[in-house]
Amino acid sequence: MALPLPPGLTPAEVGFLCEMELVTVIPRQRLEGLELLGGPTQPMIPPFATPLPLWLALLLKKQRRANISPPGWLNVEALTHILDFETDERTADVFSPSPRLPQPTSTAPLEEDPYLAHDALELSPPFLKDAATAQAQDDALPYHWLELSHLLLTHAADDFDDPDAVHRLLRDLREVRMSKLRKGFRVLDAGAGVKMNGMGGMEVAEVRGFVGGVVDGLRRINRSREEARKEEEAEQRENGLGSSNYRDDEDDDML
Amino acid sequence: MAYYNPEAILTDAQKAPCTFELAVPGLAPLNNGSAIEHGTKLDLPLWMAEMLAVSKPAGPSSTSLASLDMPPALGPRVLNALSADPKSVELRAQAQWFYGLGERMLDLFDEEKMVELLIDMFSRQTFKQRALEIADKSQNTRTTQQGGDSGDFMGGLDETERQLFRAAHDGSNAVKRWFESSSRS
Repeated sequence: MALPLPPGLTPAEVGFLCEMELVTVIPRQRLEGLELLGGPTQPMIPPFATPLPLWLALLLKKQRRANISPPGWLNVEALTHILDFETDERTADVFSPSPRLPQPTSTAPLEEDPYLAHDALELSPPFLKDAATAQAQDDALPYHWLELSHLLLTHAADDFDDPDAVHRLLRDLREVRMSKLRKGFRVLDAGAGVKMNGMGGMEVAEVRGFVGGVVDGLRRINRSREEARKEEEAEQRENGLGSSNYRDDEDDDML
Repeated sequence: MAYYNPEAILTDAQKAPCTFELAVPGLAPLNNGSAIEHGTKLDLPLWMAEMLAVSKPAGPSSTSLASLDMPPALGPRVLNALSADPKSVELRAQAQWFYGLGERMLDLFDEEKMVELLIDMFSRQTFKQRALEIADKSQNTRTTQQGGDSGDFMGGLDETERQLFRAAHDGSNAVKRWFESSSRS
């Protein structure tokens, strides 16, 4: 209650975190590796591509010390392909899938504590490597696609082959996905959710307040019924009656 | 319900009609100074109505001081209008905290049939359909505020819905602001 911020990340925070993503940079000047808080960066030696965090890449780009080579999914061809998937009637209910997860590094949980074993940490978005570097998978939108493409297009537009077309495609993609999300609002319920696989961080942050509010409102309306049901259940348990009737009712409601 | 929650307090301050079952001389101030007899009808704030309806006076009679009636905001007229078209009813004109009021009344009333009806009505149709409408309208606040075809849209929302509207609007607004600020620097 005392915290004025809503729960979850705000769009500005998501945008900030996006700047941690690694992008591929083609340096124009030599630069020694830097010891940053997020880990050391590779030294920059002019003709060779180097992965750098986005914020540093943008800074160097502004100083004309480097060019950014856009990730594989951020070009006209790949985006057209993804947009086709999004607008296809057969896949009208789903978002285009997020990039493939890396191969699991461990198969069976260790005998000791499986959570502490270092090789048992499976990565998932937004912690995937190479989501925005030149090695990125080119047929899927990564977690930070909206923020990253916006930053690259506004600050490094001259590194794109056709920035206007890319911009147009991104705008189309965003609109298609927003309308899909809006369609998903219809199935919201006190206990139900929307399937949001493949959603980007910014899109989630945008609708979090609304979706949370709707679900909470529905939950409050249904509260008295829930409580009555719980009481009934407790009563039946006290009386030692089988609760089969109650179970049946619940199953019907769930359908 | 949280003790320090102003929304809960305001919800409880909404009025509900009560019928007194007994003559209560001590409560005359509630009725503008005239005496309260058996059968007097008064609109009382929900918190007081609840106490009067639940508490039983010591003495031979076993009835409570007053009985609580359904407030007109949840009466058949409004419910019929809601089932006809959830979007056309101005909930705010019925009660400022319409859903809060409904929620409290559901707590207090035990008639199963009515409770089921209300819940179904609220959750399946009214709340959801109106929420969808809110989501759409919140994307385009100019028409909502400057009175296009939906000039009094905001005026018909109850407080819970206004909060939803604000949440939806804040979300897309924050994204827009981030886009603008990140293209400047």
